Amino acid sequence: MTAPQVELRNMTKRFGANLALNNVSLLIRSGTVHALLGENGAGKSTLVKCLVGFYHPDEGHIQVDAREHRLNSPKDADALGIGMVYQHFTLVPSMTVAQNLVVSGARLPAYINWQSELRRLAEVTKKLPFHVPLDVRVSQLSAGEKQKAEIVKQLYLGRKLLILDEPTSVLTPAEADEVLGHVRSLTRTGVLSAILISHKFHEVRRFADDVTVLRRGASVRTGAVADLTDDALAEAMIGEPVSKIVQHAPKSPPRSDIILSISDLRVNGDNGLPAVKDLSLEVRAGEIVGIAGVSGNGQLELVEALMGQRDRSGTMTVSGSPFNGTRREIARLGVYGLPQEPLKNACIDRMSLAENLALRNFDRVPLCRGIAMNYGALAQQAERLVAQFRVKAPSLTASMSTLSGGNVQRAVLARELTQDVRLLVASNPTFGLDFVACEETYRRILEARNRGTAVLLISEDLDELLGLVDRVLVMSAGRIVHEVSAEGADKRVIGKYMAGMKAA
Amino acid sequence: MDGTSIGWLALPLAILGGAIRVSTPFIFVSIGELITEKSGRINLGLEGTLMLGAMAGYAISYLSGSPWLGVLSAGLAGMAFGLLHGLLCSVKRVNDTAIGISLIVLGTGLAFFLGKPLIEPKAPPLPSIGLGFWSTVPQVRAALDVNALFFVGIALAFAVYLFLNRTGWGLMLRTVGDSEDAARALGFPVLRVRIIATMAGGFLAGIGGSFLSLSYPGSWSEGLSSGQGIMAVALVIFARWRSVNALSASLLFGGAGALGPALQGIGVTGYYYLFNAAPYILTLAIMVASTSRAAPFADAPGELKLHR
Amino acid sequence: MSSISGIEPVPSKPLVTAAQLSVALPVLAVLLASAIFAAFVALYGQNPATVFGLIVQGGFGSSFAWQDTLSRAAPLVLVGLAAAIPAQAGLVIIGGEGALVLGGLAGAVVTLPFAGAHALPMQLLMLLAGALIGGLWFGLAGVLRQYRGVNETISSLLLSYIGIAVFHHLTEGMLRDPASLDKPSTHPIDPSYMLPTLPGVGVHAGLAVSLLLAIAAHVVLRYTRWGFALRVVGGSARVARMMGLAVNRWIIGASVVAGGMAGIAGAIEVAAVQGTANSSLIVGYGYSGILVAFLARHQPLAIVAVALLIGGMQASASLLQRRLGLPDATMLVFQGLIFVCVLVADAIAQQLRETTRR
Repeated sequence: MTAPQVELRNMTKRFGANLALNNVSLLIRSGTVHALLGENGAGKSTLVKCLVGFYHPDEGHIQVDAREHRLNSPKDADALGIGMVYQHFTLVPSMTVAQNLVVSGARLPAYINWQSELRRLAEVTKKLPFHVPLDVRVSQLSAGEKQKAEIVKQLYLGRKLLILDEPTSVLTPAEADEVLGHVRSLTRTGVLSAILISHKFHEVRRFADDVTVLRRGASVRTGAVADLTDDALAEAMIGEPVSKIVQHAPKSPPRSDIILSISDLRVNGDNGLPAVKDLSLEVRAGEIVGIAGVSGNGQLELVEALMGQRDRSGTMTVSGSPFNGTRREIARLGVYGLPQEPLKNACIDRMSLAENLALRNFDRVPLCRGIAMNYGALAQQAERLVAQFRVKAPSLTASMSTLSGGNVQRAVLARELTQDVRLLVASNPTFGLDFVACEETYRRILEARNRGTAVLLISEDLDELLGLVDRVLVMSAGRIVHEVSAEGADKRVIGKYMAGMKAA
Repeated sequence: MDGTSIGWLALPLAILGGAIRVSTPFIFVSIGELITEKSGRINLGLEGTLMLGAMAGYAISYLSGSPWLGVLSAGLAGMAFGLLHGLLCSVKRVNDTAIGISLIVLGTGLAFFLGKPLIEPKAPPLPSIGLGFWSTVPQVRAALDVNALFFVGIALAFAVYLFLNRTGWGLMLRTVGDSEDAARALGFPVLRVRIIATMAGGFLAGIGGSFLSLSYPGSWSEGLSSGQGIMAVALVIFARWRSVNALSASLLFGGAGALGPALQGIGVTGYYYLFNAAPYILTLAIMVASTSRAAPFADAPGELKLHR
Repeated sequence: MSSISGIEPVPSKPLVTAAQLSVALPVLAVLLASAIFAAFVALYGQNPATVFGLIVQGGFGSSFAWQDTLSRAAPLVLVGLAAAIPAQAGLVIIGGEGALVLGGLAGAVVTLPFAGAHALPMQLLMLLAGALIGGLWFGLAGVLRQYRGVNETISSLLLSYIGIAVFHHLTEGMLRDPASLDKPSTHPIDPSYMLPTLPGVGVHAGLAVSLLLAIAAHVVLRYTRWGFALRVVGGSARVARMMGLAVNRWIIGASVVAGGMAGIAGAIEVAAVQGTANSSLIVGYGYSGILVAFLARHQPLAIVAVALLIGGMQASASLLQRRLGLPDATMLVFQGLIFVCVLVADAIAQQLRETTRR
């Protein structure tokens, strides 16, 4: 069986009152990579989940090689050779690659003789273009190797239509190129057809043949990649003409006083091994310092140590005073944060919006006098902040979990940035947010910077970083391995340092 | 008992015999809980299951005259209770820990209620195998008088090892417990697997309970189980979710539990209560030691929520 | 709520508000549990209506019944608080039994060296001693959790068993009153130190103490910044740390206060009812406390109401025994059913709250 041609027609899916897919049609030509572009929430995931049998579309037809098919369960998709490589890995961490391959096979054997099984697997996987060690526990593989193992699994299972859901979000630029390049050559040689879900234009341009843009559940543009410019793609994604790159406020030069100073920071990860090793850096007032790096190189541990959530050794001073993350120091030295996934990391989801807006100052006048809380003042503060930052919510007393991602972020911005912020630590603050919320976040961060706040921005999105920061530091394997000013920075060089290479 | 002829050996012998005896319910309950936890669920209600099993085992043994039928019924009772736990914990957003505690109350209540008429009558106990037949010393004979369920327990530990590592069903169970994402992607019926695993755990815990009423101490009363269910959970952590480790850990716990009675047997009567608290102290010490290591939950099934 | 830019007016009125739901669901749960219980007793040849009638009668049918219920409710309020306060901080501690008996023991022995003193300072001393020992016991579970990562449900239960063993060891050993032959007990306390009876109610003053503590807990949790901080810690320790709250101190502090409640319950039992510490103190308050806390959704004022309900049920047990021959365990079954149904109702309420997104 050669690479299939898959056609989706009039796909429609509702979740309650929410129309997730609205009459979407697209054609994946045999032996091509078809990109699915769209913002978070546009419907890309829903569409592919219908294709792998997870969801049943309310309306619509799926045709594989001109034959109509009903996909009622993942097993039906399996039978048609449709497989998906997920963003978060679906390999079992405690099992080896070989065990993972066996457990994902079409039929689970009753009794397994590992010796003969390993031999058989080795022979089969020898013929594949990728190579992954069979005997290693998945939990010990790097992100890039895990991704490759996922693809090997799909190929081992004989898939002919491969769906890749943002596969490169956890890879270095070099690893991403390698993986996508392999997929491209597999489609070119007619081994399979592929759907690539991505939000990165350059990936789409380099590795996809056709593209379909989804917006709010509907297909707004579809065609060959070569026929569409970046602007056309962006406009289709957002729905309004993009006024080139949003004009950020002009940058004033950074001041000379050092706000944040870290030296010889050492932080251990959850497994007891050092995640951050002898890290030193400085951030001045009115400056944005970015830390680039592939996730899993110690950024999470660094941020947690800075915010007082993890033990560390080494020194950390803010405006010259040692900082240990106590509430008093936070208020006095003005250290605030914008973590990623704000609902989980910056809010108490079962408390109300008003209470969440008060997390920083609930124990200070006017919200509190002595021991007694003043809930009237708390509500007033909430009203003020909600209006100022345009937070949309059912009510001030609604539980935080009822707000959308963008509004949670607005609330966190409102709470953090209206304090006397001298140091702001932002970590992937726009992860998972829609375009408008992203731009708002960038704008607020730049405003803070121009007011004199020192900003440390840790981001796994290199493009986002380069657009905002004054200086870029690259973090790899727990250390700072490269430093360069943002103006004129070479992405390829940075990418190499991100991948852990010693010399550019 | 004439203790003078073997002198100081009397104590270790008593502890050995006691260890084997007291460890037997632990073997079953801990391996049962191991299976449940391998699927990603934690069952804190085992205390109630133990009591129900003990009661059911005693009742059926008494009514039918066959202790083995009693053991089977105890297992079935435990399985039914495990099914209840599995179903309740499948309700979204339910607090698993609290469900476990509520089932301790319900299970214990049911066991006491239904077991009221069983306090007087004497049910036929489980047979034991006298491995000490070669000796003329009564203490050796007593220590090596091993009950049949103990051997079943040993076989069970190895069978479960094979199950988890060499069978397709075992791999599926481990997948469900280690990564729900992977399990769903492979189309495994996550909920069903977890409920069945909890039922299996309940079955084994029920059997463990039947040992308490049909072998040692060997009668039905309301003070039969005191914390074995909870200790089993700690035991599984200590054994790093490996069934053969659970076997040796059970013997260790058994030894701790036998300390008090063994010392009494040789005439040491002071500190009786404190010695009887040895298993709890041991469990606590083990928990502290287990969780102090650098990667305490490295071997834990990924979906098990023990960690804060 | 006045219309403020940014807040969208709710388009359609929901059928029930969150507040109504939070009261309705537990009530529905109790009704469901009652229905199952009714089926259960019917299976045993008893008329459910008679059983329920006797429960009401035995718990609330006469002033004598009320007295019995109230005196049982007093310790239930305290062990309920002992479970609810840590729950606000995100912990599930079920070791109330151990803290209670040790607290009772402390209360029983602390006044023995003093003869002929005024009653009030002695009574306060007993309560204080109980609180300290109980606080120590729960505090240990809290410390183990924060500094060693030990699951507090397991450790508190283990500590409870250990506590009971220590209690037996001491009451039968060095603290034993040689005159107590059948039932080993500590020396009886001076009768003038026993807690007085509340005028008009006919129940000991321990009831007033527990009510006061419940009200105090309510005020602290709802109206002070301590309660707010505790709720933040209970909502997410991670986020609480980011906000600079000393999470370890809050959690251990909450554990100590909770243990103090259980310890006071034990001291009251000694100071108001028993007059001495012996095995009568061990009656299974541990699990009842957890039940009361969960049924009351960990709200101190609701705990008072629930404690009355459960106390009434316990009080009616002997009536059920005498009239219908139903064993004590009957009430345990009923309580277990209520517990399970309430937990499921809680989960459903959670789901409903979360589905009102955007």
